[in-house]
Amino acid sequence: MRQSFTAVIERNATLTGEFATEPYEAAWAREARWFVRVLDSAGRAPRMLVRTQISPDGLHWCDLDAGTEQSVDPADGPLHSWPAEGFGGWLRLHGTVVDETAAGTSEDRDGAPASVKVLIYLALKS
Amino acid sequence: MTTAPHPDPRLLDPKLAKFNPLRRVLAHDDFNTGTHGWIELIGNHDQHGDLDTVDAHMSDFRPPQLSSCNFFDVGTHGAMSGTYALKVATRPVTGHTGVAIRRLTMSGRGRVQFETYFAYKAEAASADNGAATAAGGGTWDANNHPSEQQFGALTVATDICDGVRYHNVVRYQNTDLDHTVQHRWMYPTVPEPTPREHFEGKVKLPRTADFTAPDPADWQQFGERQELCFNEVPTKVNWHYLRWVIDTSTRSNVELQVNDVVHDMRDVPVPPYDEEYGSLQNLLNFYVSVRTHTDVRNFLYLDSVLISVDW
Repeated sequence: MRQSFTAVIERNATLTGEFATEPYEAAWAREARWFVRVLDSAGRAPRMLVRTQISPDGLHWCDLDAGTEQSVDPADGPLHSWPAEGFGGWLRLHGTVVDETAAGTSEDRDGAPASVKVLIYLALKS
Repeated sequence: MTTAPHPDPRLLDPKLAKFNPLRRVLAHDDFNTGTHGWIELIGNHDQHGDLDTVDAHMSDFRPPQLSSCNFFDVGTHGAMSGTYALKVATRPVTGHTGVAIRRLTMSGRGRVQFETYFAYKAEAASADNGAATAAGGGTWDANNHPSEQQFGALTVATDICDGVRYHNVVRYQNTDLDHTVQHRWMYPTVPEPTPREHFEGKVKLPRTADFTAPDPADWQQFGERQELCFNEVPTKVNWHYLRWVIDTSTRSNVELQVNDVVHDMRDVPVPPYDEEYGSLQNLLNFYVSVRTHTDVRNFLYLDSVLISVDW
């Protein structure tokens, strides 16, 4: 029987601006799939732009597959998913929360940065 | 020529032969074959699944990892047996704690023994993580490495309820909060703050509070100081034997063996909760935790675990 494990990489986390998730070891897994569940968001049409990143050592990172960017737009629904293939031993997400006014840490009328509150799952299978 | 049968045929299995189990083996967790029920601890949430109701200091104990003990200088170190160990990791945030828990119940009362082979590390430095200049680091002398003083503490503990709820706890305090080397085995003199106590307005702790016992004054040393084998740099993994015996018939500690030292724990108290808890009859949980005292990730690795009982 194949092994599997779903790791909750972020739980109930409010993300703003540029972020990277904690390093996660997944060398044992042949399959990996990210799930992002949006719980809440703030700003003018906020969304997350994220890339899967890989590493040989958990310290130094580059984009997987020349940086295919995923757009996690709460307007498209609460749950988003995409696979990661050929990732070696380590996985993380690197991304930015943006909204309509500008990329990065744009601010809404109340002066608060655009934000998304999310659960990020990494589903792994041998 | 005849050969006498082995006194304990279980120990003919090389995977078990490195342990010293009591009569009945409840669990043998070889992390080359999955996580065996070890999972992140989280505080309780409400009937809606609203994660905002989880206590802040019990909301981010990090998912355990099946680690090949992979490092920047040597690549895959591997575990004591096979490739994979269970890794519990902190965030690079002073006071952050990583916790993995295993959940059982008791079908009897008596001695319970937790054995593991473990290793502990602080994260190696990189330009991004800034570990070389983070608090606790010092000067490299080609023997002792500054990262050894960037490892805070590791803990092995229980959560048990037979009508009375209590925690047996042993903690290896590598450094104090000022990064001074301690090498002490410690126990808490108070029971762990619970989500219900928060719900009742009795306690509210910040995100990086020490969830086992938040006040450093509530920790006491037992036994002699003991130096372990960090082995100079943050990328060498040496496995340590740990054998811890408690007695659930008397809600007490018995002894802790770590490598060649046996600490008598018969006089080390186990503080019970004064109040009763429902929904927990025969609860028998074990958790391991790792706590950083600086802005550097700390890691606890378990090669394998064996839990045995005498009932």
